[in-house]
Amino acid sequence: MPERWSAFSYLVTNLARFIRPDEVTFSGVNSTPPMLACLLAKRAYDFDFVYINVAGGVQPTPSSIPRSSSDPVLAEGSTAIFANEDFYDLCTRGGMDLCFLGAAQIDGLGRTNVSAIGDWRAPKVRLPGGGGGAVMLPTARRAVTWRTEHSTRTLVEKLDFVTAAGGLHGVVTPIAVFEKRDGRLALRSWHPDASLDEVAQRTGFAFDASEAGPTPLPSDREIAALRALDPEGQFERDANVASR
Amino acid sequence: MIRMPGSKVIPLADLAALVPDGASLALGGSFLHRGPFALVRDLIRQGRKSLEIIKQSPGYDIDILCRARSVARVRAGIVAMEGHLGLAPAYRRAVERQEIELEEHACMTLTAGLRAAAYGVPFQPVGGVHGSDLPALNRWASVADPYGSGQQVFVIPAIRPDIAVIHVNEANEQGDARVYGTSHWDRILSRAARRVFVVAEALAPVASFQKRPELTLIPGFMVQAVAVAPNGAWPGSCWPLYEVDYPAVEEYMRSQGMPEAHLAAAPECREPVHA
Repeated sequence: MPERWSAFSYLVTNLARFIRPDEVTFSGVNSTPPMLACLLAKRAYDFDFVYINVAGGVQPTPSSIPRSSSDPVLAEGSTAIFANEDFYDLCTRGGMDLCFLGAAQIDGLGRTNVSAIGDWRAPKVRLPGGGGGAVMLPTARRAVTWRTEHSTRTLVEKLDFVTAAGGLHGVVTPIAVFEKRDGRLALRSWHPDASLDEVAQRTGFAFDASEAGPTPLPSDREIAALRALDPEGQFERDANVASR
Repeated sequence: MIRMPGSKVIPLADLAALVPDGASLALGGSFLHRGPFALVRDLIRQGRKSLEIIKQSPGYDIDILCRARSVARVRAGIVAMEGHLGLAPAYRRAVERQEIELEEHACMTLTAGLRAAAYGVPFQPVGGVHGSDLPALNRWASVADPYGSGQQVFVIPAIRPDIAVIHVNEANEQGDARVYGTSHWDRILSRAARRVFVVAEALAPVASFQKRPELTLIPGFMVQAVAVAPNGAWPGSCWPLYEVDYPAVEEYMRSQGMPEAHLAAAPECREPVHA
């Protein structure tokens, strides 16, 4: 195990730990960490799951790991192309077990803002928009998001705009893992180098921590899988994940 | 090549010239992948103005059109350059300065509007959306299931683009077009639009389409015209022919204002296109 668990590795590994056996699991556009998490899970875990992605891939065996999470190489080796309308319809009819979705702000109810900072009509920052969020978050069986920054700017009491509601099942940040309990995000674990106090100070919404403890360290297989996916550290540099 | 009688193949610039100022234009592909970028650049070269751009996940295309001040309105689900490249800065600035009008969608609400147009009905139900601020923003109605399930379903009004432009791997002179890899949203875009333009990497014999008709994404009778633009999805990818040219995208991102050098370096300028 590493002397320190890097923020990037913490993020990707804990996203992968939300993946369960035999489930249909989806990674989308603008979603490099979940793409890596799905590919990590395929390498590090003994169980199988159905990995589908926004490039139309169904159980793909990509020959390279792309910097764009919608790159067509993510459909390489697929025995089918399951294009955009297919996977959205699958989701809305209840067939998507786990869906990874992006977010800029997250509130304690597990709702997301990916639209704008400030007033939507006169935004201080225009964000990318929710893509799948408003449709997938309420209809996927579980939706999980991530933030590369853990702060009161990103984990907020009140969203500037509600892009998607329905309640995230999980949130992973560089220092914490949250999971929905009784309709609200509860702390499940914190980075072993952080503390409950630090997580509380850097989180804008109140959360239950009664069942939380330090996050179990990465297994040798998780470490090896991520190293195989990112041998040059390109993705780690690109992601620029800040633990502080 | 020799123009066949009745051929739909025309030069790229002529295809761009068929897009009027103010047109509602749907663009195929997704982010940096198989977008009709050569056609987009020709619209800029021709000084097109006041376009409405319709696309679930635009990025480079909307950004460069915003740099050229060719856009009045956007209907989109998610806009970014993606990955380490981040947001689309010229688009972002145009929205923040309120220089362009944004109709923000989820990708599937935009698709529901396109489905309504494709199906010939005034609106289309869509799953999800509950609890989002988007319906209030866009005045989307919801209806109670008339068959009594008790479900409340959002309905999106029809979205009928004037023109859909789809970049494909292969087309023929009749306009039949096929792609390799995912079709992204191209199928519904082609069915929803009033007119369909195809930009193809290459022409292929009609006989090859007759042999495998199930590979055809867009039948020729729906296509008004075809232009041939090898590497036309540059600086994006076109599977399986070429990958994203990241140095070119990064250079575009570093440049400011009208990206003259980028436009001049594009494949449609470098390589003579005989059509």
